[in-house]
Amino acid sequence: MNPWLAFWTVWLVIAAISFAVITAIVMVKGYRDLRSMFSRLAEQRTHDRE
Amino acid sequence: MHFAAIDWLIVVVYLAASVAIGLLGKKYIGSVSHYLVAGRELGTHAGIATLAATEIGTITFMYNAELGYRYGFAAFAAALISGIVMIIVGRTGLVIERFRALKLMTVPEYFERKYSRGLRLLAGILVAVGGILNMGVFLKIEGEFLTIVSGIDSEYLVAVMTAILLLELVYTVVGGMMAVVITDFIQYVLLSVATILVSLVAVFHAGWVDIVAKVSDTLGSAGFDPIQNPKFGVTFLVWQVLLWFAIHTCWQTTAMRVFSTRTPEISKRVMTWTGFIYLGRGMLPMLWGAAALTLFGLGALDNGVPLPVVDGQTLAPIDAMPAMLASILGPGLKGVVVAGMLAATMSVNSSYLLGWSAVISQDIILPIREQMGKPALSSRSQIFVNRLANLFVGLFLMFWGLYYAPPGAVYLYLNITGTIYLAGTFICVIGGLYWKRANTSGGYLAMLMGAAGAIIPFFFLHWSENVTGFCAFGLAALGLVLGSLLGKRAPASLAGAT
Repeated sequence: MNPWLAFWTVWLVIAAISFAVITAIVMVKGYRDLRSMFSRLAEQRTHDRE
Repeated sequence: MHFAAIDWLIVVVYLAASVAIGLLGKKYIGSVSHYLVAGRELGTHAGIATLAATEIGTITFMYNAELGYRYGFAAFAAALISGIVMIIVGRTGLVIERFRALKLMTVPEYFERKYSRGLRLLAGILVAVGGILNMGVFLKIEGEFLTIVSGIDSEYLVAVMTAILLLELVYTVVGGMMAVVITDFIQYVLLSVATILVSLVAVFHAGWVDIVAKVSDTLGSAGFDPIQNPKFGVTFLVWQVLLWFAIHTCWQTTAMRVFSTRTPEISKRVMTWTGFIYLGRGMLPMLWGAAALTLFGLGALDNGVPLPVVDGQTLAPIDAMPAMLASILGPGLKGVVVAGMLAATMSVNSSYLLGWSAVISQDIILPIREQMGKPALSSRSQIFVNRLANLFVGLFLMFWGLYYAPPGAVYLYLNITGTIYLAGTFICVIGGLYWKRANTSGGYLAMLMGAAGAIIPFFFLHWSENVTGFCAFGLAALGLVLGSLLGKRAPASLAGAT
């Protein structure tokens, strides 16, 4: 096997798996992140109005 | 027309939902820092989503697929460098950690903190010119993608471009970074699903063994070995390392995500994990390009690569990937993929509109006003100026996108237009943060020589991209060193910015 082909195949597998896994994690935890971010901003607004 | 009713339905529902959700961001806009850097409240995972969505667009898929079509697996080198460099920047915190600690809103703002207001203005002008020229080709290429995949007549290309731009402008102008962060999250999920689906379907249709065989037959060992490939070589690889260090630290749209995180530590984590996404961002669409070469690379040779032929019609290499998607995706799946690509398009364009308009308003208009002795603008007025700048950038993009066609591979055009300001900016930032002797004279020389080193060789002397890139970074570094050694020493009061 062409050593460059082996090299790129390994990196392609790493790239595809990490892309899929990080997407799954970010889908769940990113939503939570956004919710807490907006609740903090809403609190700030209330605080500023007071 | 390649689109079935179900595909149209999926796309229209996505567009309506995306714009409606984006408009929700408006209610959280209280100050200019909310508008530009989301109140610096981004956490790690939302940060990864918005950074990845910002830098993965239809344009990214198109130029990477073009690279895969033209240069085979050897093109993977560019993707590998971009990902590894991003992980290094994230792990070490190079530039980004200090940038976040300085609480900046734009990259040129650093130039006033470390150097002078005049240099901030010059950096702002170069950042805006380079960035807008860079974005100038996005709309046309994205419009081409959508018309080819959906089967809309190409005479409607302008209408498709206008519609995309207007939808992005609606929520970006109104909701700023708040709207962009919310829509980026949804768009990231959709574009990632589409990326994974297309990768599976493309390899299934073209066949891994056939893809390898086609690349080998067409390009020989140059299709695998980036050093042997005449378009790449060692100079290309070294230039890419320099360029990606500059992009990941000083590219305005990327830097705005760093500025938007809650802490410097979070900005480092965001950068590290997005680095892994960058590997797939490059390699997966390059694989689609190689699959398109396998399925449609039957035409006359163009620089040693057969042009794609689809239904008897010869296309440009960049159009091979969308033509492949139109051919291999079935009803329903095509709608999901196009919605995903539209999501990618909108997330990139809205972030770029916001990024470049922020530079125009904060680093060009406001400093000029202050220089003229006019009173500082209120936060509300600054947001208004930002919105006007947003509209101006949008209009310019429409006209530039219609009349300018980049020579050669789009990826390389984007690299060079980015280098116009990145060479000087990166050198000035590195010098400013890590070299005590760096001063304003050096900064001016670095910015001017870096820009000249990119513009003159590429647009007037027609040198190759690799040599142009080296020239720009080399001249910028020389300018900073010479100017700093010959000019006055920087005053100690600026130590906070170093």
